[in-house]
Amino acid sequence: MEESFWGATATSIDALERELTRLRRTAVAHARERGQTLARASVLNLVVYSEREVHARRAARTVEDLALRHPSRAVIVLGDKAREGVVASVELHCHVPPADGAQAVLYEQIFARVRGDFDERVASVVIPLLVPDLPVFLWWTGTPPSDARHLDDLVGLADRLIVDSADFARPARTLPEIAALSRLHVGITDLNWARLTHWRELVAQFFDVPAWRPFLDGVTGIRVGFAVDMDGRDIHPSQALLLLGWLASRLGWQRVESLAPAEAGGLLFRMKRADGAAVMVRLRPRFERGLDAGDVSGVRIQAATARETAEFVIKRAPDDRHATATAIIDGSARAERVVPLPALAIRELLGEELSIAGNDHVYEAALGALMGLA
Amino acid sequence: MTVTLPNPLREGLRLARTPEPACLVIFGASGDLTARKLIPALYNLALQHLLPASFAVVGSARRPLTTPEFRTELHDAVAEFSRTRPINEEVWGTFERSIHYVQTADDSGYDELGRVLASIDAQIGANGNRLFYLATPPAAYEPIIRAIGAHGLRGDRGWSRVVVEKPYGHDLRSAMQLTSVIQEVFREDEVFRIDHYLGKETVQNILVLRFANSIFEPIWTRQYVDHVQITAAESIGIEERAGYYDSAGAMRDIVQNHLLQLVALVGMEPPAAFDDRSVRDEKVKVLRALRRIPPDHVSALTVRGQYGPGFIGGERVPGYREEHGVAPNSQTETYVGLKCFIDNWRWEGTPFYIRTGKRLPKRSTEIAIRFRVAPHRIFTRDASEGLEANELVIRIQPDEGISLTFGAKVPIQGLRIRSVNMDFGYGESFMVDAPDSYETLILDALRGDATLFTRRDEVEQQWAFVDPILAGWNEDRQPLAMYDAGAWGPDAADELIARDGRTWRRP
Repeated sequence: MEESFWGATATSIDALERELTRLRRTAVAHARERGQTLARASVLNLVVYSEREVHARRAARTVEDLALRHPSRAVIVLGDKAREGVVASVELHCHVPPADGAQAVLYEQIFARVRGDFDERVASVVIPLLVPDLPVFLWWTGTPPSDARHLDDLVGLADRLIVDSADFARPARTLPEIAALSRLHVGITDLNWARLTHWRELVAQFFDVPAWRPFLDGVTGIRVGFAVDMDGRDIHPSQALLLLGWLASRLGWQRVESLAPAEAGGLLFRMKRADGAAVMVRLRPRFERGLDAGDVSGVRIQAATARETAEFVIKRAPDDRHATATAIIDGSARAERVVPLPALAIRELLGEELSIAGNDHVYEAALGALMGLA
Repeated sequence: MTVTLPNPLREGLRLARTPEPACLVIFGASGDLTARKLIPALYNLALQHLLPASFAVVGSARRPLTTPEFRTELHDAVAEFSRTRPINEEVWGTFERSIHYVQTADDSGYDELGRVLASIDAQIGANGNRLFYLATPPAAYEPIIRAIGAHGLRGDRGWSRVVVEKPYGHDLRSAMQLTSVIQEVFREDEVFRIDHYLGKETVQNILVLRFANSIFEPIWTRQYVDHVQITAAESIGIEERAGYYDSAGAMRDIVQNHLLQLVALVGMEPPAAFDDRSVRDEKVKVLRALRRIPPDHVSALTVRGQYGPGFIGGERVPGYREEHGVAPNSQTETYVGLKCFIDNWRWEGTPFYIRTGKRLPKRSTEIAIRFRVAPHRIFTRDASEGLEANELVIRIQPDEGISLTFGAKVPIQGLRIRSVNMDFGYGESFMVDAPDSYETLILDALRGDATLFTRRDEVEQQWAFVDPILAGWNEDRQPLAMYDAGAWGPDAADELIARDGRTWRRP
């Protein structure tokens, strides 16, 4: 049921547009032979920037999967600093959703490899390729450089910037720098933050119970576990840091000391509550089968009020599809429940993000709370 | 009473707001509605993390049943009726622990229910919040409401609300009587009258289509709209519902509630805000402006039909009077066709044609806005032969979506015009399953959002419209017209609209 149409390599924008028109017609003619209608229903432009071929290919596949939910024109830019000249090639994909074959959505994928010293030129390749009047999402793979012309230019075209802080090197330092990108007046989305949405929801739900709400003002300690691979070499604490940053910003905790490395690549440090009392923070890498390195595997919040002590625990179940959420009040477990917590693929995260257009102030505040920790 | 501080972790969370901790009390817990709709809806809410961390369901009915037996029955029901299958045993396992059963056959049962609720409250910290759900036959509504009052089942803290299923009365008088009994125990803002049509995504989308877009509203008036057709066609017969259906008929079963709500949503003025008060204020204005059809006008403006034997999808099916449990000389209508008018500035003179029926050729609920033809024809008759007036169709089920027909030039030398379709399909555009209407409505009731529920004055206006028509029919001013199962209703329905030079759509 699935059919892709590939265009010839084009060396100019005009040639590329001609090629696109030709491919679109072929696709429609093919569909008509089978008695189907093809709709060209673009809802947004997606520009993917990457400097490594593997990233670009992987992004292209993810975007292709997304075509069903977000019919779009995708421009995938592969920046290759090695050689001179700009070569653009076209791929036009037409997918018939397997659910019902009556209607199909046509969407276009353009693959642009830019070579040589392209910093100043890359935006001029992308601009004519955008479908007019539709919002532009820029997905930057890898760590965004702190000062670069091509980033500024591409962000200048975009209504939204998507990054994945799971890929960031030295997240304690680079995460707060993301906040600085807001100088470019663009909404920022971090896929790694999107991975935390269910965790945040589960944590928040504990404190919807009026009787437990006061514990939020009496947090004494927090432990966040995150996954590492078997040999424990690659440590990616960015997701755990974001979860901490979120709690700190929501609850008004302040930094008192810099992160200190603890055993096995973990981090151990103190923060200060709004009332001045200390909160012990421990971010702990653990080997967890089935999780990607860096994924949060559990959260434990310890708290006390004048009358009671409590622990709120969320743990990923070993089956990798569920989590257990338990509130322990004065040592006895209450309200224990199992909830689905599937690990989301990038395409699901991206799909979710593309459906949201506004700025995420809570995320920006979480980044702000991490400032100065490194 | 302690003041509860807001939860600072809630801000910016993208999942829909989860309700406050609460206890849901279902009366009629051993019945069909609980098994087919309510519990599957709750289980799916649990799957989506939409239930509060502290939540309990207490089922209650006359049948003697232990809590473990009750849980097992519900497990099997969810396995059979849930929209997501197979059942996720891990999630069910913990959700099940929040389900309890209390037999309420007499006063002592209600006292026991009160004790169970108090102990669950203390255990899970639900703060006395209670949602009572009447999932019983209507005859039991009043005794249960009175028992809730008499046995002090409303907590002394927190909120209490009651959800009432349809049918809400069988005429204006009985509806008002039910309201007055309910108000002995609950304030009007604590009463949630369910019309499950309003929980459907596409029905809510009528409001979005009309009021989130600027291009439709200016032409949504008598100047541009020729007429409106609302259809609720079912291919099924009366299934197991003969007892209820034969005493109700299509007018009470579908028109009084669902179709008049659709009329209100299509006809209403823009509300000032999307909240329960503003939206329902505007809806009730439409219902009030709906021109009454007095008994001596029913022959001109209404059609009532009943299906005889025929064929549905190639299968022979019996006629209504041959259905099990139906009297062989039953006069109950299974088809209703109406022509009505909204007497206000916007709709003066624009007819709304409404029809519903059982054993029609296919299942389809839709609203069609038929626009006037272009005022002046500049194209030759030959060229515009294939051209029809513009039509905007909102499909509610199945196959939810919106389509707009307009004329386009056929790409040949010379001029020929044909009608083409611009189609938006919910399924294809969003690629997600729409939530079941009961999920939406239970969640709204737990949150206290009454926008999608029917207010007292709406129900009363609906009955005030329907009652005189039924009175006319009782006086036999419009004889029952027979139609074959599998036909689009009786000939009289075609004549009703043909008198105005129009035809029914083929959905």
